[in-house]
Amino acid sequence: MTATLTPEVKEEHRPEEPPSSRVRLRRLWDRLTPYGFLSPTLVLLIILMVTPIVMVIGYSLMDRVITAPESNFVGFENYMQVLTDPAFANAVGNTIYFAGISVVAHFVLGIAFALMLNSPILGHKTKAIFRTVYILPWLFTIAIVAVLWRMLLSPNGIVNYLVETLGFSAGSVEWLSDPSLALPAVTFINIWSGYPFFMVSLLAGLQGISRDLYEAATIDRAGPIKQFLHVTIPQLKPIIISMALLDFIWTTQQFALIWMTTGGGPIDRTEMVSTYTYKLAFSTYDFSVASAAAVVVLVLSMVLAFFYVRHQKSRD
Amino acid sequence: MTAVTAAGASSAATAPTRTDVVRRQRRKKIALIVALVLGAGFPALPIVWMVSSSFKTNGEIFEYPPRLITENFSFDAYTAILTDPEKLRFFFNSYFIAGSVTLLTLLVAVHAAYAFSRFEFPGKRIINVVVISVQAVPPITLLIPYFGLVVALGLYNTYPGLILTYMVFTLPYAIIMMTGYFNTLPKELDEAVKVDGGRPFTALWKVLIPVSVPGMVSVGVYTFMIAWNEYLFALTLTRTNDMRTVPIGIQLLMGQHAYEWNQMMAMSVLGCIPVLILFLFFQRYFIGGMSAGAVKA
Amino acid sequence: MSNGARIRRKGLAATAGLAILGLTAACSSGDATSDSSADAGSGSGEDVVLEFAQWWEPELPDGMLRGLMDQFEEENPGITVELLSGPYASTKEQVVAGAASGTMSDVVGLDGAWVSDFVNQGAIADLSALMTDAGYDESQLAAQVQLNGATYEIPVVNFAYMLFTNDAILADAGVDVPSTRSEFVDAAEAVTTDDVSGWILPLSLEAPNGVQNDVMSWVWASGGSMLADGQPDLTNEAVTSATEYIKELNDAGVIAPGAATLKEQDKVEEFTNGRVAMMISSLAHINTIRESNADLEFTISAVPAEDGYSGERGTPYASWGIGVAENSEHKAEAWKLIDFLMSESANAELADAANAFPGNSTAVPEFVNNDEIFQEAFDVWQAGYPANEFVGLPVAEQLMREYGEQLQRVLAGEIEVSEALENAQAAWMDEF
Repeated sequence: MTATLTPEVKEEHRPEEPPSSRVRLRRLWDRLTPYGFLSPTLVLLIILMVTPIVMVIGYSLMDRVITAPESNFVGFENYMQVLTDPAFANAVGNTIYFAGISVVAHFVLGIAFALMLNSPILGHKTKAIFRTVYILPWLFTIAIVAVLWRMLLSPNGIVNYLVETLGFSAGSVEWLSDPSLALPAVTFINIWSGYPFFMVSLLAGLQGISRDLYEAATIDRAGPIKQFLHVTIPQLKPIIISMALLDFIWTTQQFALIWMTTGGGPIDRTEMVSTYTYKLAFSTYDFSVASAAAVVVLVLSMVLAFFYVRHQKSRD
Repeated sequence: MTAVTAAGASSAATAPTRTDVVRRQRRKKIALIVALVLGAGFPALPIVWMVSSSFKTNGEIFEYPPRLITENFSFDAYTAILTDPEKLRFFFNSYFIAGSVTLLTLLVAVHAAYAFSRFEFPGKRIINVVVISVQAVPPITLLIPYFGLVVALGLYNTYPGLILTYMVFTLPYAIIMMTGYFNTLPKELDEAVKVDGGRPFTALWKVLIPVSVPGMVSVGVYTFMIAWNEYLFALTLTRTNDMRTVPIGIQLLMGQHAYEWNQMMAMSVLGCIPVLILFLFFQRYFIGGMSAGAVKA
Repeated sequence: MSNGARIRRKGLAATAGLAILGLTAACSSGDATSDSSADAGSGSGEDVVLEFAQWWEPELPDGMLRGLMDQFEEENPGITVELLSGPYASTKEQVVAGAASGTMSDVVGLDGAWVSDFVNQGAIADLSALMTDAGYDESQLAAQVQLNGATYEIPVVNFAYMLFTNDAILADAGVDVPSTRSEFVDAAEAVTTDDVSGWILPLSLEAPNGVQNDVMSWVWASGGSMLADGQPDLTNEAVTSATEYIKELNDAGVIAPGAATLKEQDKVEEFTNGRVAMMISSLAHINTIRESNADLEFTISAVPAEDGYSGERGTPYASWGIGVAENSEHKAEAWKLIDFLMSESANAELADAANAFPGNSTAVPEFVNNDEIFQEAFDVWQAGYPANEFVGLPVAEQLMREYGEQLQRVLAGEIEVSEALENAQAAWMDEF
């Protein structure tokens, strides 16, 4: 796909390249070059992402937006309401648990499967088959993942049947509706549906590691574990850190999965920031406070993103 | 993991006899395959159940004790979907939109990533922070202003409306990942082009992109899947069923009073088959990357 | 860094400008889309295209609703109807978003639980005025949903909720169909085994309508109310006794496992498969059950009342309601469509296809005469009164959710009934 596209685009761009007769012009051009490369991205993100976000920030400072004909500026009142709401604190706690465990598990499963699938002692066909199997959970829309797991985990579902037949439990386990099991259960579903993505990225990263490094390590008599810790992990580190950050951000906004399996329940045990915000917006009908909650999340992740970028820079 | 490194070790070692090496290799291979088969149960078993459900009647899906294959095994659910032009249209829309998003995202992202990876310029860090963090706003809260914007731009109920929307979702990730891949490539590669009088564009397209294909494939797969699976915006930004995608088609089977379980499952199975084939095809690029590494070694 | 900050500030200013532009453009384009047909409304003879957004089409037999629309178009030359169908679970978001950006369809399907919110948003039009303009005879309507003295929604067809009992399971346990609460708990205990539960209670917080249909129905069936003078009154005798009663059922172990995440659809699957002996459910499910399990024999009766209660029983119902968008350019034509759907023959036809009771008071759907089970149900319906106190309440869905959450607490053994009801009462007062 990319291969066929390459020549076309190249042709398209070649004539646009600048005539470089004068040095000053050339220098100015050089300084503008990175912005040129960035311009399509910036135009798209500013129009379609930053604009709505700015509008949401505006909503968060008003009362009764959208749902009433008139609304007034109320300053930070909505923020106070969100930040002092114990339900919000609970949602943040659940979200951190959910996202934290998911990211760690995605990484562990992702790297384990990627290493197995990358082994040179397997034939190409074998690898192709297993790679395809391991990527399966990723191919399904989250609505179906939710419905499927509701079916599997229901009190009369196949999982309970197996648990009972194998004698692990006398009665059926209420995976999703027992207040103490629901959060681990939705986290498990999220782990299932999300690890292939980590795996694919790590698999691609493994291709980029030069065999020379392993050979050198072997000559130094480094064992498999040492090689893994001193060659594989450091080489993959940039990918791992980026993936972990992104995965964390995405998992915190996972909405459909939670909504369609537990609806935030039982009681408030699986309430996440995303379901909390949704209920404010479309159930309580309070877009102002919902917007404030969204902005709080945005600020938190901006802090996260800031440290990430600083880390990237210091690494360079 | 042990297999990778041990294989390297045994080829470098000189002492053991040839048969020893072969035998040890074979044992390792069997152990690895056993591990892979066992591990495969994790992703595959729920999906086996999905496929089995798609051949059942709605009543049988909830039978207890559950059975993998029931006496009423039938293709009815598949026939119902494949003979309904509206549902086929959902499939076409999904592929068309996801395909376009993938191509365009990659095209736009490699340029942005090149800028981030190879240039220093004022505002770089702040643009980077913005690119990463805009993804964090829960999409559901953006829905209403976003919807107003799309209507205002005249993109409501059009393919470009959905395609551009998904690009906004997928670009940040694509840029971050492509920047990462470019960063792993030595700068000397594109310096060489510049010494020969080439411009940055030439360096990007002639040198960096060809060696980044594995990275681009995995970014592309991700992009495709996001566009393929998205539900909320796909529903809100479209008005008529001829513009809608598979996830909405599946949701339409979840009625107010009852679900068409078998058809939902069948539609998911049908939806993923072409993606699987696509994935099988693009795997060649992973393997390509691998053999290139082997040649170097 | 300082450099970056400056750029960012400029960026903000620029996008804020863009946002405002976006808003104004949204308004103007909203007008533009309906321009062509606005002319027609003034009688130039051009076609008016009415958009009718609803979730009914996928629920009905293929082509049924389209057929009705064709009939309407034939009777009203110059008007064409475009059906826009969406999934039920997302209908509300779609209407909210559409109303906020001026792209709402002319005629919209509504649920009684949403009406108050849409009226506050100014999204739906006053139907009383439209009826007056059209000189419509309101007496043929079985019900209207009114707020502040004006009608905003008309229930087109109603789905009554009644007690479904599995004949075989009850017969095996030697019990009759219960009609009082104590008979019900006895029956439930008698039928409960390792594989079968007496009753099923869907309390999912995603779709909290179980609170309306499966919990409050106990209150209404005994003539009780959860409101006093239009204000929440959850700590009253009627609600307390019903909540205590559900706790009693739970403590007796007769409620099917997994209540906290079950939805209406799950409830029906469990009943259909004979794992639950009794459920309170919509008559719309009669056909679902028959399709999945043709051999299942079941009986329909009124929801049991408190022992000794002899008054009329309230029958909970859900409806497919209809309303007109405030921003519609064709309100008169939109009313014609509603008029048509509420007319005796079309209404009966729709009710027939949906297995619902008609919103037109004189329409009689065929199934009432042709089907014994529906006939029983129709008798129950007519003997009682329709009861759904959530219709027209502000943020009705959230109210159900708040009560549902407290009830889940009670069933998990965390708090007592009295405390739960006080919490729910306080939460409800906040919303009013």
